[in-house]
Amino acid sequence: MTTCRLRGARLFDPANQVDGQVRDIVMRDGRVIALDPRAAVDEEIDVRGSIAMAGGVDLHSHIGGGKVNLARLLMPQDHRRGIDPWPLPADPLELASCGHCAPGTLATGYRYAEMGYTSAFEPAMVASNARQAHMEMGDVPILDHGAYVMLGNDELFLQMLAAGEDPQRLRDYVGWTIHATKALGVKVVNPAGISAFKFNQRQLDVDERHVHWQVTPRQVVRALARAVHELGLAHPLHIHASNLGVAGNIESTLATIAALEGLPGHLTHVQFHSYGREGPRKFSSAALALAEAVDAHPNVSIDIGQILFGQTVTASGDTMRQAANADLASPRKWSGADIECDAGCGVVPFRYREQSYVNALQWTIGLELFLQVRDPWRVVLTTDHPNGAPFTSYPHLIRLLMDKPFRDEQLARLHPDVAAQSPLKDMARELTLYEIAIMTRAAPARLLGLADRGQLGVGAAADIAIYPEQGDAEAMFSRPSWVFKDGEPVVRDGRVVATPVGAVHVAVPQFDGGIEALVARRLGRPLGMHKRWAVIGHDELCTCCNGGRVLASACAPRSL
Amino acid sequence: MPASAPSSGFAWTCPFCPLLCDDFALETDALVPVLRGSDCPRALAALARHARPPQAAQARVDGQPVALAQAIAEAAGRLAAWRQPLFGGLGTDIAGARALYRLAARTGAICDAADGDALMTGVRLQQDRGQFTTTLAELRARADLVVCMQTSVIERYPEFFRRCELDAPGGPRPALVFFGVPVPAGLPTGLEARALATSGDAFPQLQQLAALVALQRVPQASPALAELATQLRAARYAVLLWEPAALPSHALLWAEMLQRVVATLNRHTRASTLVLGGGDGAGSVNQVFTWLSGLPLRTRAGPDGLEHEPLRFGAARLLADHAVDGLLWLSTFDPSRLPPATPVPRIVLGPPAMARALPARRDEVFIPVATPGLNAAGHLMRTDGLVIVPLAAARDDGLVDAAHVLARLGERIGAAS
Repeated sequence: MTTCRLRGARLFDPANQVDGQVRDIVMRDGRVIALDPRAAVDEEIDVRGSIAMAGGVDLHSHIGGGKVNLARLLMPQDHRRGIDPWPLPADPLELASCGHCAPGTLATGYRYAEMGYTSAFEPAMVASNARQAHMEMGDVPILDHGAYVMLGNDELFLQMLAAGEDPQRLRDYVGWTIHATKALGVKVVNPAGISAFKFNQRQLDVDERHVHWQVTPRQVVRALARAVHELGLAHPLHIHASNLGVAGNIESTLATIAALEGLPGHLTHVQFHSYGREGPRKFSSAALALAEAVDAHPNVSIDIGQILFGQTVTASGDTMRQAANADLASPRKWSGADIECDAGCGVVPFRYREQSYVNALQWTIGLELFLQVRDPWRVVLTTDHPNGAPFTSYPHLIRLLMDKPFRDEQLARLHPDVAAQSPLKDMARELTLYEIAIMTRAAPARLLGLADRGQLGVGAAADIAIYPEQGDAEAMFSRPSWVFKDGEPVVRDGRVVATPVGAVHVAVPQFDGGIEALVARRLGRPLGMHKRWAVIGHDELCTCCNGGRVLASACAPRSL
Repeated sequence: MPASAPSSGFAWTCPFCPLLCDDFALETDALVPVLRGSDCPRALAALARHARPPQAAQARVDGQPVALAQAIAEAAGRLAAWRQPLFGGLGTDIAGARALYRLAARTGAICDAADGDALMTGVRLQQDRGQFTTTLAELRARADLVVCMQTSVIERYPEFFRRCELDAPGGPRPALVFFGVPVPAGLPTGLEARALATSGDAFPQLQQLAALVALQRVPQASPALAELATQLRAARYAVLLWEPAALPSHALLWAEMLQRVVATLNRHTRASTLVLGGGDGAGSVNQVFTWLSGLPLRTRAGPDGLEHEPLRFGAARLLADHAVDGLLWLSTFDPSRLPPATPVPRIVLGPPAMARALPARRDEVFIPVATPGLNAAGHLMRTDGLVIVPLAAARDDGLVDAAHVLARLGERIGAAS
């Protein structure tokens, strides 16, 4: 039982309303404890001149699962440096692992930790691919992790919805799926659209009918949001709305918010869903409309999915939209899959260019959203790694948000029409460290129901990042002097010093076990998920996750 | 028809081919496990190679029986001394692959699967062009046309059509076409098929088919190909099955042309491909290496960095060029899959039965290991590359897992350095 005191940092801990005051933090047994400032400790670390925050929490980052591995395979050029091989790590603790936009799981863990992040969540786990997702996340060192299982395109759910099944049965089915796949949350991607694409439907707006099942995305969103709410999951339904990337899709996004009918919903990578069709190019920013809608709907939270310029690869469950965008691939290649009457995926390499009108506008739309939504507790900083940009660009993004002159400098380099017309140039707001701490720590932890993460009050997990304070926020957030995971140092001066296995967060909802008979009838055929192995048990989850701890969140059922 | 109903015995998932059939049963009381619910010749042949060992399995060093710990210590010492190790075979499951990568990264080994050439066809296709794929359940639910491209399918995947229920009474019964090969004997009852382009290398016909599907003008087009092109364009969901191991040496050209056909079709209707391959653990190991490091097999953590050489790092080529000075061979599923005859020193991990087939020689450590899905638990990736299936131990032969041995090798080498 050793105690360690971090002495003298300015603390930014919004969950406990601490805004930059100098506070000591004392850790024991992986937890933050209260201790008299004069009491002796086993170790004292002088961190004066630094800022302290809880470890970063990324609630939407594609870090593991089938489509991520397809992206790695599709991008060999991402795993070398020009014609040279990717150098081996200088740090003997690191195993060789490489990649920029599609890094190996080992590199993913090292690079996140080096920025002061200690948790990341895979937002698009395909139920039939859940084991792979958990294995890949288990092979991400240091970080805690968890996943949202995709529903709303699986044939069983669509069939039940089309048949007018009792909402309780739908709820039980959603609960069973979370239980079977060991998910933390539920995501819907292009509601009913991935399935519709298998029936050769190329577009599906919120009130259009799936050509086969005759259900609409509005019905799917409403039914899933209700099920997630009634099951008592902490995280609201995670929604990748209809018509991703389509000019004018703000109407679909607003209709999706309306479809929630007041139930909680988290709209993800909203940058890709906030497009108008004004102007000579019929493509414009609808950031203000979305920001106003978020302000007006306290049941809605968002993450941004900011794009940043350069090469990346987009990996999405949205086969319909990825197939439509495949001709824009750079380099020109792509992969897609129809998966197990359950889901789909599309992987399209993409290069965002400053001189592209559309890309430049996307960049400004993301930043406009960050700066226009009033309540930072409902905004999470993401690039939808790797779809908008790799997660390693977070420090750059933070500087863009905190530093108006820097932002203006970048804006001036963009396509001239965008640079001249964007309302961004008139937005003077600079986010504070307190707001950054909300958007990168406190808010995502709260939205996921992780009571002891994303904050540093007494009893919180000692996931802590210490950044030597400096004027350049990008430099500061790139290189913490210390990162602690559950009280143990994992990074020192930008170098990984320990690689513990992270824990997996799962939700434990209650549901009527009678639903298993229906699922077994459906699945208990010689392929698809055999009923014998449809459920990932606790021990198997541990094996998949490399022996990491299972952090289970109980769910208290709610009524409408 | 299945030989007998899986009414008794251990509810079993067969690990011996990447279809990972999970509707069979296994009776393990007999010396050779008895398969119930299937007469799959591939499974039966594999089971026959896994008779219960007559006595406790024995590790060997240079032909002499030794204790397991001693064999591991000896193997670690030799492996650490090799300047350029080659890890070959790679017949293991996901846990084995996770341990293997750590060992390879520490030792700078080059890793290549026993079926590395076939595996690399799929990898290079994905690297160069990408692909559109489907899965077994999707094929069953949706396909109204299945074209088997230059593969009989059932020669190496005898259960395929039954597994996808294409023979089920009242089932969807898609049209079935064999392209480049004759209709094989032994299709499940009730399946009807036709064949075309059956003489010689059918690649030129495939080119023609791609042009016809794209509505390009093809002078003197073959009527049979034109008919297939029309059928493909009219299908709601066509699936092109292919098997890299069954393709000629220019397999990648084949694969890219198949993808072109599917990409053309997907402009106005739906189509997909499904690959048959990655068995004996190769597909699983490739996936694991990719997720851990970012790069697939035929990679090494060499002095210049992580070098990926999909052609140059083929095991046969490296051995022929004397480019490696030690071979670690891993084949936990198939005891008859012996390491290549090579004068370089070897460390061999395989089922106990492999020891009998390996002539005792100097410069060799043999360590008996368990077979996931037979006498150990484990996980394997199915042929469609998107479903990982858990395997259970059907019997206990007191063997250690390959993952355990590989981890201990790594610990010893790490401690020594």
